[in-house]
Amino acid sequence: MLGAGGVYQWSRLLPALFVGLAGCVSIPPSVSELPEAGGSIELASTPFYPQERYQCGPAALTTVLAQSGAEVLLEDIVDKVYLPGRQGSLQFELMAAARTEGRLPYRVDGTLEAIWKELEAGRPVLVLQNLGVAAIPSWHYAVVVGIDAERGEIILRSGTQKRRVTRTRTYLHTWRRGGYWGMVVLEPGELPATIDRARYFESIAALEEIGRAEEATAAWQTASGKWPGDPVALFGLANAYLAQQEYVSAERVYRDLLGREPTMIAARNNLALTLAEQGKYDAAMEEIGRALSDNRVPALEQELRDTEATIRRRQAAAE
Amino acid sequence: MGLQRARGALARLISVSIICMGFAQAAPAGMIGTAYLLDEESRATSLSRIEVVLAREDVGRQLEALGVDKAMVMERLDGLSNAELLELEGQLDSQVAGGDILALIGAVFVVLLILELVGVINIFKSV
Repeated sequence: MLGAGGVYQWSRLLPALFVGLAGCVSIPPSVSELPEAGGSIELASTPFYPQERYQCGPAALTTVLAQSGAEVLLEDIVDKVYLPGRQGSLQFELMAAARTEGRLPYRVDGTLEAIWKELEAGRPVLVLQNLGVAAIPSWHYAVVVGIDAERGEIILRSGTQKRRVTRTRTYLHTWRRGGYWGMVVLEPGELPATIDRARYFESIAALEEIGRAEEATAAWQTASGKWPGDPVALFGLANAYLAQQEYVSAERVYRDLLGREPTMIAARNNLALTLAEQGKYDAAMEEIGRALSDNRVPALEQELRDTEATIRRRQAAAE
Repeated sequence: MGLQRARGALARLISVSIICMGFAQAAPAGMIGTAYLLDEESRATSLSRIEVVLAREDVGRQLEALGVDKAMVMERLDGLSNAELLELEGQLDSQVAGGDILALIGAVFVVLLILELVGVINIFKSV
């Protein structure tokens, strides 16, 4: 009895011992767990763009863009993301290029479960792997198109291999060394399968900043449906309308937001601008005056003064 | 007299079209962007437009120095958010650049060579 118990204990300890001897950091269960034990999923129809030397970044990005329905050419994406002096591509530039193709790049959670859920939603995941070791890194972008939980395999579009099959454990180590970095490209208005609200909102705000107001509008509309009454989503939506010169819609959403959050100075500043754009100068002056008297943030003071001056100037020019 | 007036009109037209070019894509001047609400860090930076302009110039110079075609630099900068530009400023060299699966062969060779030299493996001599 005692002996059998001892053997049982050892057989449980042995794998742990080997992992320890391998000298690697172990992968936390939160990263490797899957929603369905033993299931498998593969987006076999994902297109394949074999990479040229050093150009796994453009190839991987073109793959996920094409799968999302964007009409892209590999050579155009090479021009947008390949960095000759570094013989590679930067993560930021991959995201930037996805935006200029009218897509919303979203960084997924660094877990297999998050990848699984994106695959279920029909979206392959662009990942950064370090195929070398920390001291001799070999950074590589690939696209996860499938997970076979039964066989413990990850299926990738990778380099010059259309269907590269990697053992899940090996994949997880290369991904860990790549900082568990992965992204999907969403059509604006599409929600990611696993959402981090703040990160999702930052992705949309980036679209707004680069002047993609139409795409930002679609994304904020979806966001304000998902989080009804959310001040950031409403602010984003109103800003997107304003940027598209849809002043009536912008005014309506700013007023809705200010009804909920009367002290949101930034929204009042933008409402004042929206009113001025419609020629309602007196109402605009009233709003900016209230913003100035309510404001407690020194950094905003100058912005509000500038807006006030703009409205005055435009009113004088109109009269 | 007539020529001068025509010149004045032309100058006005040019300046108007330059202004329009600048605002064709962006939100109206003075609009506080959504990034302002997102987090403490971007709150501080989202209002400093001059810093963003400087960061953009710097990143553009770095891209060009790293071999990006001059005609493409602008287009590539256009996709980057303000926070990304500020993060890349002066830092392009320290960013990870995902490149080549083939580089692995070199890395493996180095590892094998080291292992060989310290006597852990014996691939090279056994041939």
